[in-house]
Amino acid sequence: MKRQTFQQDAFEIARHKLRSGALSRRDFIAALSAVGLTAVLRPGAAHAQVGEIVVCNWGGAAIDAFRDAYGIPFTEETGIEVVVDGAGPSTGAVRAMVEAGNVIWDATDGGMTDAAVLGAGGYVEPIDYGIVDASLVGEGMAAEYGIANYIFSNVLAYDAARTGGEPPAGWKDFFDFDKFPGKRTMCKWVQGQLEAVLMADGVRPEDMYPLDVDRAFALLEPYVEDIIFWESGAQSQQLLREGEVVMGNIWHTRANLLRMENPDLTWTWQNQLIFASAWSVPKGNPAGAEVYNFINSSLQPEGQVTLLRAMGNGPTNPAAIGLMTEEDKAVYALAPENLKDVLHVSAAYYAEHDAEVQNRFLDFISR
Amino acid sequence: MSNFRKWALALTLPAGALMLAFYVYPILQVLALSFTEPEPGLGNYAEMATNPAIRRVLWTTIEVTVPTTLLTVAGAYAVALALVQMPPRRRGLALFLVLVPFWISVLVRAFAWITILRRRGVVNSGLESLGLIEEPLSLIYNQLGVVVGMVHYMMPFAILLLYANLSDIDRSVIRAARSLGARRMAVFWRVWLPLSVPGLMIAALFVTIFSFGFLVTPALLGAGRVLMIAEYISVQITSTLNWGVATALSVTLLTAVGLLIFAATRHPALRSALEGGRK
Repeated sequence: MKRQTFQQDAFEIARHKLRSGALSRRDFIAALSAVGLTAVLRPGAAHAQVGEIVVCNWGGAAIDAFRDAYGIPFTEETGIEVVVDGAGPSTGAVRAMVEAGNVIWDATDGGMTDAAVLGAGGYVEPIDYGIVDASLVGEGMAAEYGIANYIFSNVLAYDAARTGGEPPAGWKDFFDFDKFPGKRTMCKWVQGQLEAVLMADGVRPEDMYPLDVDRAFALLEPYVEDIIFWESGAQSQQLLREGEVVMGNIWHTRANLLRMENPDLTWTWQNQLIFASAWSVPKGNPAGAEVYNFINSSLQPEGQVTLLRAMGNGPTNPAAIGLMTEEDKAVYALAPENLKDVLHVSAAYYAEHDAEVQNRFLDFISR
Repeated sequence: MSNFRKWALALTLPAGALMLAFYVYPILQVLALSFTEPEPGLGNYAEMATNPAIRRVLWTTIEVTVPTTLLTVAGAYAVALALVQMPPRRRGLALFLVLVPFWISVLVRAFAWITILRRRGVVNSGLESLGLIEEPLSLIYNQLGVVVGMVHYMMPFAILLLYANLSDIDRSVIRAARSLGARRMAVFWRVWLPLSVPGLMIAALFVTIFSFGFLVTPALLGAGRVLMIAEYISVQITSTLNWGVATALSVTLLTAVGLLIFAATRHPALRSALEGGRK
């Protein structure tokens, strides 16, 4: 089955909220624009030669909504058509498109690792920092081939009704099956999984990379029978909701949804594993440098906070925190009060080792 | 060649061209990639033969496919046998019920099985309330769950194949057996079953080939614990960019399926069944 990305899952969450009325159509579209499901370009300068901008992301149903609400007004203003393709810019899809010499996407929404992998393969352009303002995003979020458009994390979610009086306080407790009996769920996609195992074993964040995969496997081995491996965000939520597991290593957006459904299902920021998502520009993108104006506009704090409120995807622009309420900060991975013993997952490490570690992990868990 | 034949041949050209462009050509591309990516040579095939992880994936695929095929064909045979004996009106209704699952997506069916088989699912809570079990049984997120989901998916196909085949059996042979004093069981074992062999073989072949390609069902019902070849290939293509190994595996799978079909068509009874009702 296709690897579900966080981005794809974020779209599903927003669509679900829209359907159930928790999100207005306007907020929905605004939220999607921040993950690149819509493209909002600043009017003005030098747009005349570009006819359209095509953004690729992970959801399809938002295309009509976008065209009505943003595409048409924008086109009236600047003459530039904006098209959203929900085909899913997996690294395989980007590579296929670039190799076929038929690139139709201007910007793709993938992880920082994807950006680096695609960059190393020569499938994406280096971000043009002559146009894109790298100072808009926090430290370490502007890379050669990708610039972070939002933040998300893997957290320890648990069922407080079944973990007894003392809540689990981090990955050490996650793997303590004597203290907290019951099944667990972890993700089948390896990034952020072995880190949790090694943190439980006392590896400090600064010593985490390169990952000691063998050590992690040895520690995980006795428990594999008691772990269900999720592959989509919805599935991780379902496993906790239905009581199939008592704890999970899941995306914080899904943990947040669980808590809204049932206060017993909650999560701890302790030991959260932080990821950055990123924009990349496929090599030979049709709109050329114009796409960088779009990227700049997506990094403005207002839109990023709108996205946070709608889906929990955190701003990469540090200025955004000034616009947040306490409620917003409670779901923002980078709010200072949430940064307890955390790990920033290394995109650089996975850019080199993802394929190998992913395959070893799939083999290990299916033995 | 007669004029008619020439015309008939010409009429197949558009369809043939379409097949060449959109089927044969991409397959040749896959074949080429398997020998050239990331570097020219047989490296991908060597990797496939020596990588223990890939061997495990292949073994898992076989381990799931064999019970799936046996259970599907056995179950479908019972249903198809019942279908051919039914009065026409009831048979119409029964065939309709067989077809219903065709309209439900594979994803929905997998989720339905999760609801039935999970820890607090229908089966486990039923058994618990009857006092038959203390702890919930692990019916899902393992090979058992995958086989259940796959058998359910394959049943309608196998039933229809077997039904078509059993309908072709000359009923006067059955009547002759009965009139010569054979009991019901003897009629089944000595007349129905031998005459069904081609149908059973076709159904088994079809289910086996189809099972090699299962992706969604093992991914959802196996939850990471059951890694079959289609999912492995999919991961290598979309996410690890290991296109060389992925295409080599695809080519191998295609060759294996081709050989299986070729071997099957060497069997005279099967060949006549495959060629249809030329009596």
